[in-house]
Amino acid sequence: MTEDALWYEAAHVVGVTNALNVVADGLGHDGAIAPAEETSAGREVAALFEDIRAFYGRPDVPIPFRLVAHDPGYAGDLWGAVKRAFSDNRLSRRLKEALAFAVSLTLRSAFGSRFHLAEMRRLGVGERGVMEVLGVAQMFSSYTKIADTLQLDPDMADIAPVDWSPAPGDLRP
Amino acid sequence: MPTVRLRDASEYPESAQALFELSKAWFGYDFKQPPAMSRVMAWDPHFGGPHGRAMKRAMAPGEFTRAEKEMVAAVVSGVNACVY
Repeated sequence: MTEDALWYEAAHVVGVTNALNVVADGLGHDGAIAPAEETSAGREVAALFEDIRAFYGRPDVPIPFRLVAHDPGYAGDLWGAVKRAFSDNRLSRRLKEALAFAVSLTLRSAFGSRFHLAEMRRLGVGERGVMEVLGVAQMFSSYTKIADTLQLDPDMADIAPVDWSPAPGDLRP
Repeated sequence: MPTVRLRDASEYPESAQALFELSKAWFGYDFKQPPAMSRVMAWDPHFGGPHGRAMKRAMAPGEFTRAEKEMVAAVVSGVNACVY
């Protein structure tokens, strides 16, 4: 875990996780925006939905994608970013789902917590592993609030060397 | 600036010095002073002790490696907007 590319991947996961959660939690329940129907979608959206179902290995399309599918171009680009962020790369998809679960839990997203918990389990994380991620999220939610309440200054920066390795796509020799 | 006076490690009782040694071993780093959070946790060993043990249990390698868990901890700290 020494290359900063890993942290870019983690950050992308955190970002798109929150992007999906805010839409699902904000609009997924009250019908203010009707989710696009899977059965009556046009060809472009139908192909998008098929790709989403295949990626998640489930028969339905998760609600945040259906909510934005009224704009197929936007939905397609959003899905492209989400799929890229969650695909196996330097970080495994399994770990990325654990990160997304921890973030969703921390940000109190009911949709995200359930969705990414299900994804972790689907990808083979056992109950012990789930408890591990839950425990880390819970303990660091405690440490961070203690630190914030006491307004502690950071003093841990020297324990790991700074790594200036480039992000993916940086072609400098 | 901290809202409390962070005490020098030498101001803590002998029992807390053991906690500081554990902290040094946990991080694998020879701090000039124990980290601020370690000193905060040592203020009340009856709180800091079980809290620290719970953290160590959570961070121990299991289905996820310690490194993976450090990344989980980092993103949780990040979304909590905690700079510490």
